[in-house]
Amino acid sequence: MDLSLNEHQRMLAQSARTFMQRRMPKAAIVALHNTDTGYQAQTWSTIAELGWLGLLIAPQYGGGGASLTDAAVLYEEFGRGPLPGPFFSSGVLSALTVEEAGTEEQRRRILPEIAAGRQIYTVAITEPRRSWGPQGIAMEPRLDGDKYILDGIKLFVSDGAAASHLIVAVRTGSSDDAISLLVVDKRSRGVAARNLPGLLSWQAEITFEGVEVAAAALLGRRENGGWAALSRAMQRALPVLCAYQVGSCQAAFEMSVEYSRTRVQFGVPIGRFQRVQDHIVRLVNHLDAARWTTYEALWKLDSGRPAADSVHLAKAVTAEAHMEACNAAHEVHAGIGSVHEYGLTPHTQLSRTLFNYLGDPKWHKRQMAAALQW
Amino acid sequence: MDFEVNYTGEQQRFRSEVRSWLEANVPPAISRRPTTDEESAANYRLRRELGRKLGAKGWLYPLAPKEYGGGGMDVDHAIVLEEEADRFELSLPPYYNSGGTLGAPTILVWGTEEQRRTLLPPIYRGEVRVWQLLSEPEAGSDLAGVRMRATRDGDEYVLNGQKVFIGSDNGTDWMWTLAATDPNGERHKNLSWFMVDARLPGITVQPMDLLGAGESSARSGQKNTIFFEDVRVPASRLVGGENNGWRVASTHLELEHGGGGHIGRNRFWHALLDYCRNTTRDGRPLVEDPDVRDTLADIYIKAQVGRLFGLRNFWLTYAKQPKSYEGPQLSLYMKLAGLWMTGAILQSIGPEALTSDPRWGSEDHFLEAQQRNGIVLMHPGGTADIQKVSMARRIGIGRATRESAGKVS
Ligand SMILES: Cc1cc2nc3c(=O)[nH]c(=O)nc-3n(C[C@H](O)[C@H](O)[C@H](O)COP(=O)(O)OP(=O)(O)OC[C@H]3O[C@@H](n4cnc5c(N)ncnc54)[C@H](O)[C@@H]3O)c2cc1C
Repeated sequence: MDLSLNEHQRMLAQSARTFMQRRMPKAAIVALHNTDTGYQAQTWSTIAELGWLGLLIAPQYGGGGASLTDAAVLYEEFGRGPLPGPFFSSGVLSALTVEEAGTEEQRRRILPEIAAGRQIYTVAITEPRRSWGPQGIAMEPRLDGDKYILDGIKLFVSDGAAASHLIVAVRTGSSDDAISLLVVDKRSRGVAARNLPGLLSWQAEITFEGVEVAAAALLGRRENGGWAALSRAMQRALPVLCAYQVGSCQAAFEMSVEYSRTRVQFGVPIGRFQRVQDHIVRLVNHLDAARWTTYEALWKLDSGRPAADSVHLAKAVTAEAHMEACNAAHEVHAGIGSVHEYGLTPHTQLSRTLFNYLGDPKWHKRQMAAALQW
Repeated sequence: MDFEVNYTGEQQRFRSEVRSWLEANVPPAISRRPTTDEESAANYRLRRELGRKLGAKGWLYPLAPKEYGGGGMDVDHAIVLEEEADRFELSLPPYYNSGGTLGAPTILVWGTEEQRRTLLPPIYRGEVRVWQLLSEPEAGSDLAGVRMRATRDGDEYVLNGQKVFIGSDNGTDWMWTLAATDPNGERHKNLSWFMVDARLPGITVQPMDLLGAGESSARSGQKNTIFFEDVRVPASRLVGGENNGWRVASTHLELEHGGGGHIGRNRFWHALLDYCRNTTRDGRPLVEDPDVRDTLADIYIKAQVGRLFGLRNFWLTYAKQPKSYEGPQLSLYMKLAGLWMTGAILQSIGPEALTSDPRWGSEDHFLEAQQRNGIVLMHPGGTADIQKVSMARRIGIGRATRESAGKVS
């Protein structure tokens, strides 16, 4: 038993933290919130050059071949920002989806582009007024010779505005999980992306109107294996996403502790008030619950143990923890916490945006129960 | 990272040795929850007997140093012992004994060599049981405010005062206590820590009947009020120096607040899942009812988070990593989870969870016991709110200076 990070992971965390401090200070992150894509071209290419974008991609496809725990350590540091932008969407979820679903030829063609940051991928699954899960995917392409014709709308597509390519989940059969994955170049005629306004961060509506997609763009070149492949990819990607949220909870915790030591009311630092302490205790309990469930799931995956129940558990715990941690931080900060410039609100918006992303907590709890064979 | 103990061939060999020994020596009746005082006393005798046998082998306190009667084992072997004992639904020690789990480590840290040699072997070999006598009618959370007096008289201290919420059923051999040796002295610098023989003249034990959390759940829970009237304790039983008792106590308080951490299977969870699989409502097993499943998922998650906090604290302790708020965090988490669970269980199981009736209640009324204990266990070792106070101080917000965790080794 050893719950510490290894030497290599500690160094990775250190360089990521230094990078974030230099290149992504709070003001830069707050400024990015007013952009459509959430990233600056320059940061994007630096992160690609550092090998962080393709960290999880196998070396033969131009990546770093790192373990999921390695990637989690990096994303935890990103989450402290929180660094926005399509890093997870492209470098983790899409990369793993292509790896799980693609043919060898497709992997060779796509993964090096993702690793180098030349193409940006995201996955489009959810549809208007439909639930999460394969049964919620109704968009059915028409086969026309060696082309699919796509019509319909995908909603809540993360980084849909930033992406150059979309992996679109479509229905190709009547059984619930008869789903296929099509790679669509976003510049194709008939594709339109529109960021959804509001509290949500960087999720888009993507409209498809008679979009022609070559049959060769079907991942795996065979229909109906899409949901299974996506599930395998999500099993690996979700704990990395959770680690990103752990980093965000950690930042909310540190901000709150610092504030409660320095903000003086009634002649004492507010941290002396037990009501304020209650918020911080609640916050750190959620933070640690998210942290340890996440890293245990990662350990199981990296060491080849059955991990499905732990992954679903970590996602359910972390989504709730992130929301609660931000709520507690807002209580500690009161007024100043809602001022964008202060830097808490990017965490809060993220906690809400990721709450339902790739399945809400209740869905994951039910999957967990199923995986445990109750 | 590695969340699991890796077993070597040597450990596996040890495991089979332990298993066959336990199979030969654990009486089958031992894990049944007693329902009467007589059964409780009989059960306690079985447990003490097993404790002495384990103690003779160094298996009662496997991690404790061999020179003082412990097992002198490393964590990897101690874990095997714990796991094997758990198969018999036993913990180590197999009875309530805060002497070994809290008192002995305190003596290891603060005692003189002479005290270690005389006080530790009887504890580690299972020859004595020890209670902790801290709380008083006027000093609960504010433990530093204890009023029991200890006045030096030649080679002895004379103790006078009253302690409450102490121990369990079935009596004790020794007790340790905190008393004021300098009643007008500065707070935290006026107390001393004593290990007292329970049979000394002047000690009276009067049972208190509690809602739950007893040693045996025979009725509900037994604690005791203990009166000290001119009890003469040899000065050699003062541990850690006169007026240094508060620092001495910080060791066992840290351990009691979850600082030591733990690992192990969650027996309650397995029993609950079995109950929901084997009990029907409207002809359908409870586990198939979607509402019950959702609640079970929440209970399971709390149990897993608690397990991970315990595992983390265990690792922090044995890898000698710095600790801050983690001890009281574990303690707080388990307390809150226990109380929350009483509601969650009542909601999904129904009034069957409230009866100890052998026909309509759960087996060994484990659910009914949880309904009691979930409420009562909010308080021992510091209330839930006091755990928050400690966490805040260690996080560095409760006071001007950050408090550090108690010294446990
Ligand atoms: C089942 C059980 C077993 C026990 N076993 C033992 C034992 O073996 N040995 C032993 O010595 N004692 C034992 N105790 C006693 C236990 O340690 C005390 O009950 C506990 O420390 C609380 O003290 P109190 O009951 O006097 O409550 P009080 O201290 O009077 O507390 C009442 C309320 O005030 C709150 N409060 C007090 N101070 C503060 C503060 N500074 N900030 C915020 N809130 C505060 C508390 O949280 C609580 O809500 C046991 C108790 C129980 C219930």
